[in-house]
Amino acid sequence: MVEKDVVVNSDAGIHARPAMMIVREAMKYPCEVMLIKDNVEADAKSIMSVLGLAIISGSKLTIRAHGEGETELVEYLINLIEKDFRV
Amino acid sequence: MRKLTVRHFIEGEGRIDLQLRLIAGEGGLEKEIKYGEINRPGLALAGFFDYFAYDRIQIFGQGETAFMNQLSYEQKMKTYSDFFSYDLLCCIFTHEYVPDKLFLEFAEKKNVPVFLSKRGTTRFITLFVHVIDEIFAEQVTLHATLVDVFGVGVLLTGKSGVGKSETALELIERGHRLVADDMVIVKKIDESLLMGAGSEILKHHIEIRGIGIVNVREIFGIRSVRNRKRIEMVILLEEWDSGKEYDRLGLDDKKYNILDIEVPYITVPVRPGRNIPVIIETAALNQRLKKIGINSARELDEKIKKWIITEGQK
Repeated sequence: MVEKDVVVNSDAGIHARPAMMIVREAMKYPCEVMLIKDNVEADAKSIMSVLGLAIISGSKLTIRAHGEGETELVEYLINLIEKDFRV
Repeated sequence: MRKLTVRHFIEGEGRIDLQLRLIAGEGGLEKEIKYGEINRPGLALAGFFDYFAYDRIQIFGQGETAFMNQLSYEQKMKTYSDFFSYDLLCCIFTHEYVPDKLFLEFAEKKNVPVFLSKRGTTRFITLFVHVIDEIFAEQVTLHATLVDVFGVGVLLTGKSGVGKSETALELIERGHRLVADDMVIVKKIDESLLMGAGSEILKHHIEIRGIGIVNVREIFGIRSVRNRKRIEMVILLEEWDSGKEYDRLGLDDKKYNILDIEVPYITVPVRPGRNIPVIIETAALNQRLKKIGINSARELDEKIKKWIITEGQK
């Protein structure tokens, strides 16, 4: 299991398009992956789940993956969020 | 857990039931409600402040207001300044009794919200405890879809991509009602009651691969949705695994644990050509039968056993 924290800095938070970018990448990996905000877990492979977290600018997130490809996926997602989805 | 403020009473989920009217102390609406408990401030008003639970919700009934009424101006001045020297959370007056001007002035100055309720005290407290219990109930967010099928709250779970949303869509199409898709907030209202609802922002939206996000309420109309539903059974959808044994009899009751409550649970294997919505409808109806004491599998088993015995005696 790999777990990492990240702070969302993009001004608009994670709205539909960024959420899609996360989900699209997550779907490429067989591992289970969760986004966790304020103890609420969301499946990073589900658009509705990610949107449901209501992630705004400044939100602290934990990304937790478990299974095949966990390290690369968490790396990728952290990078994506840190670069404000301009990858 | 999220922070709950006094504002919640007039703007949150509880507002419809509570019907409170704010008349003073608006500045204190952001105060955090730490305990879901109430206090009748009669003793404090009479000057006894030991064990005064000032950080709870103060409820003024007819007794308290009658007592306040008979005080002289000087007595009021003394009582109120002692009373408001505590960091009070908020005050609620039942029977729509409007407290005197001096009380309101104190409340305004100390930023203590004062609410009025039309209801009588006992009735109000019963309702209030109910609402508060629900707000403070233990909760968990599940990656699942909740649908009301023939009045049975069915929680569909399974890995992403197994077809929870598509199944929900077809159930809606068949006249059933969607509560929440992909993210269900489950609250343990009571030791035997789990209530499921969607998140406020996602409400009644569903994501269908190939179409994207659609608003179920707008497309299928108001009858296709509901806001909350008691969770009565869990159905796990999983890819058909030919190596796995699926339940062929339904004699054993399996349970799924959510917040330490056991919910009836079945696994439905998914494969192309299987009509999952019909299976779910049947499972929901079967669950209703079981609830009123009719277990089809067990009854057939009994019948066969009896037949074997009578045949054997011939």
